[in-house]
Amino acid sequence: MGEATPRITAQYLENFSHQTVRILGKVTSLRGEQASMDAGGNVAIMLNRDAHIQLNHAVEIVGKVQNDLSVRVLASTDLGPATAIDFNAVEAVVDATHRYKEIFYGGDD
Amino acid sequence: MDYGYGGGGGGNYNTTTTSYGAQGGAGGGGFMAGGSQDNASGGGKSARNDTLRPVTIKQLNEASGHDPDFKVDGHDLAQVTFVGQIRSISSQTTNTTYKLDDGTGTIEAKVWIDSDSAENPDTSKPKPVENGYARLFGRLKEFNNRRHVGAHIIRPISDFNEVSYHMLEATAVHLHFTRGPPGGGANKAAGAQTNGTTDAGSGGANGMSGIPSGMSGAASKVYNCLRTSPQSNEGLHVQQIATTLGMQINDVEKAGDELLGNGVIYTTVDDHTWAILDC
Repeated sequence: MGEATPRITAQYLENFSHQTVRILGKVTSLRGEQASMDAGGNVAIMLNRDAHIQLNHAVEIVGKVQNDLSVRVLASTDLGPATAIDFNAVEAVVDATHRYKEIFYGGDD
Repeated sequence: MDYGYGGGGGGNYNTTTTSYGAQGGAGGGGFMAGGSQDNASGGGKSARNDTLRPVTIKQLNEASGHDPDFKVDGHDLAQVTFVGQIRSISSQTTNTTYKLDDGTGTIEAKVWIDSDSAENPDTSKPKPVENGYARLFGRLKEFNNRRHVGAHIIRPISDFNEVSYHMLEATAVHLHFTRGPPGGGANKAAGAQTNGTTDAGSGGANGMSGIPSGMSGAASKVYNCLRTSPQSNEGLHVQQIATTLGMQINDVEKAGDELLGNGVIYTTVDDHTWAILDC
């Protein structure tokens, strides 16, 4: 469909440069328009003006992976305190997304 | 155990999603098959196969066939459940249309407004909001070559872990249909839980082909082996089953006796070669 935004973690950034992806992580630093989050590793993100994110909250971003593997945010969703999120399950979903991509984003097989 | 969307027996998919349905207000009854919007889709067929399948939006967009005979992974699609982030909400006089995105694609879902609830809006239930995640239950529809979901229920997701859960469940069910039930002892619980779904599509009207409840773990392993292994119409020999499953021959024999006694398998060329009885 071309509208998929594959769920990834830090380790997949390289494989998805210049693509729009979906990353869920915990906000670890926040300085103006620059922020970083922990999503199976550190991910640098560049916020847009209407992104409202908070330190130590889980946030899901949809964004475009840049040349330097930072991510320019197109949309963000605050999911509340990170302690409420089971990150093992989140990682399992990312793993399944790429292992069985036929139902998530890939062509047939 | 009848959760309300059973009909075909073999087609029941009893997972924990059912409790979500209850939470979401299925008590109102809007979720039962045969609601007003289902009448158009050929009552007889949908009544036989009233399964509930967790899917991703990509699977809905890529489902083969046409309304009302969609197929996913080669199996008939009846009721579906999925999650998504709400991109837009547009309220019309007769329905509310939601555009949903779950990261695998986007699809529109229409929730018909029933005149009773329009007069007395239920304010106790949380309402879906833009950019929030929601879970839906409904049926895939096609109109002017555009697909949408006719949703019986849309409910905002308050615990994000439900999204992870759904994606993993959709994956598990996809793998179940494309690769067969999980094998090996570690996955015994999962295998037992999904027993019977194998025939949801291929068995068609046959509601009897699942394994009866109360069978031992070994019996259900042997049964699943017979069901999923490639074989001629002579079935499989005890020795082959034992090798495939890594079980002792006498354990396989015992399991076979149990299955023979319940009439779900039968002997073919000799007493030690069995095939599944499904007709």
